[in-house]
Amino acid sequence: MTLRRGGRPLLWLGLSVALVALAVAGIAIGTIALSPGAVWAALLGRGDATTITVVRDLRAPRVALAALVGAGLAMSGAALQGILRNPLAEPYLLGVSGGAAVGAVLAVVAGATSAGLVPLAAFAGAVLAVSVAMVVARAVGGRADPRLLLMAGVVVGAFANAAIMIVLANAPADTLRNATWWMMGSVAGAEWSGVRWLALYIAAGGLLLVARARDVDVLSLGEDSAAALGVRVEQSTRAVYLIAALVAAATVSAAGLVGFVGLMVPHLVRAAGVRSHRSLLAGSAIAGAGLVIGADLLARTLLPPAELPLGAVTALLGVPFFLARLRTLA
Amino acid sequence: MRDLIAPSCVVAGTLLMERVPMFFSRLAFTLVIASSLTLVACASERTPVRKSSTVRVVDDFGDSVEIAPAARIASLSPTTTELLFAIGAGARVVGRTSYDEWPAEARRVPDLGPGIRPNVEAILAAKPDLVVLYAANDNRDAARALRAAGLRTIGLKVDRIADFKRATALLGAVAGDSAGAQAVVDSVQRTLDRVHAATADLHHPRVAWQLWDTPLLVLGSGSYQHELIEIAGAENVYADDTKPNTQTSLEDLIRRDPDVILTDSSRASAIRRSSRWRGVRAVREGHVLAVDDETSSRASVKLGMAAVTLARLLHPEASIR
Repeated sequence: MTLRRGGRPLLWLGLSVALVALAVAGIAIGTIALSPGAVWAALLGRGDATTITVVRDLRAPRVALAALVGAGLAMSGAALQGILRNPLAEPYLLGVSGGAAVGAVLAVVAGATSAGLVPLAAFAGAVLAVSVAMVVARAVGGRADPRLLLMAGVVVGAFANAAIMIVLANAPADTLRNATWWMMGSVAGAEWSGVRWLALYIAAGGLLLVARARDVDVLSLGEDSAAALGVRVEQSTRAVYLIAALVAAATVSAAGLVGFVGLMVPHLVRAAGVRSHRSLLAGSAIAGAGLVIGADLLARTLLPPAELPLGAVTALLGVPFFLARLRTLA
Repeated sequence: MRDLIAPSCVVAGTLLMERVPMFFSRLAFTLVIASSLTLVACASERTPVRKSSTVRVVDDFGDSVEIAPAARIASLSPTTTELLFAIGAGARVVGRTSYDEWPAEARRVPDLGPGIRPNVEAILAAKPDLVVLYAANDNRDAARALRAAGLRTIGLKVDRIADFKRATALLGAVAGDSAGAQAVVDSVQRTLDRVHAATADLHHPRVAWQLWDTPLLVLGSGSYQHELIEIAGAENVYADDTKPNTQTSLEDLIRRDPDVILTDSSRASAIRRSSRWRGVRAVREGHVLAVDDETSSRASVKLGMAAVTLARLLHPEASIR
């Protein structure tokens, strides 16, 4: 399989223009009506204090966080679908979401109110769940069998869901609301400090995945072909699996559960004709970022001043595309 | 406040139930007096009550239920437990939820678990004559099961000051101490009137009361806390929303531009630290006020205290007793 670098210039141009347009819309549109001039001035730090805060500390970090979450989940999904050779693979199937949710819910139930503690607990939970899934798969199969990895992830996720239900069954209404909102995903609380941290993480994870893209290309052909082509199958599978899971865990800890991005976006990009995993990762990152920015824009403008759960809007927005493309995938 | 409660031993003749309906603003308790309630009641307890004296009311589930004086009451919400103790009927309470922690004596009552989707068997085991549930949809099944088991069960939902009054009157009737209940209501009302009078001529700041951060919830006008804001001499910028609380966005809050942000103490310090909240003028000007959670978390006997606390917080320059 050859990399088609520089191929499909229209696709890349379209994706990039769409991403920039969505980001501009995300910063320009909101409950408070602002003229484009006022938005631009506020971005440069001019104008009245309220407008500057609205643009620079409310909308801009939100857009940035949405972009990072979308990019991270989509790249994670693209890599996992490749190494596991399964079109249904996605980060949330690996116990990442379940583990993160257990961590977050436990922190919420324990009364964590500070902004920093819930994400940390979520990340710890996700890492723990992924490690358990990997250990289980290894203990059972002895090698990085994609089917075992998938099944171990699904089972760990089911266990995590059961744990969440037991913890929440007797929780007071306030805790329940907190936990439910966390599980529905949101970037409403975005702050620059958290965005910077996530940006580093996603960039590092994304680069590591891109560096392994050639291995993923080969692994996606099948284990035997990969081995014949000189790829150390197990080591590569494990490494990509772990990186993809950690990238997804970071997004989950920053924004809760934002469903369907990791599953849908890689398929959409593949349906546009992208085959090599290096291009697929890049395309998924751009498309995922755009999708989540757009979903967040809808989430906060459809029913103002209330906000809709981001994870639900991404799915509502993405599923029609996905269905329309299903024919191409078949 | 407890010293204001009337002596609990009351031997009254006919209960004047026609006084009660005027309290019932929301879900009008349509009282059909089946027979006059004869009160042979002593809050010092254990007096046998006459089973024949029943009253039919429509509870907050919307169900028509018969109530009668009860010697053993399972009270499955913090507010009703607090009210029963305030009336002087604490000794009749044979069960409470895990969250009923006030007054301190209430903690000695057996804990029957959660008040939402309660454990029906645990309630049956406490052998109450009357079960008081929080009237949420989640509790309808429990109410049905308890009634099927032959237990008198009423659902109460106390959102507004008027709800507090009718709930207190109703609990007074079932505890056989309507005079005690009336004393509690009167004492709270006197304090509210006093605070209202003291703040009436002061400048009324425009406030937003933040209740929750994710999602951002603020106080609408459907709650007793909204009424407390007005009694304490201020104006709620979300008064146009008739729900007890309403979901909003920070941008919407900025647009409404309140003079003061009210919230609990941990949220107040989070707001003062947050870069996002700096868009709110009240926050930039340092007008984030922490409300004492303990006094303002329920529409109960502490309403008067809560009004005083709130008025002092909002009008530090005035002397409010």
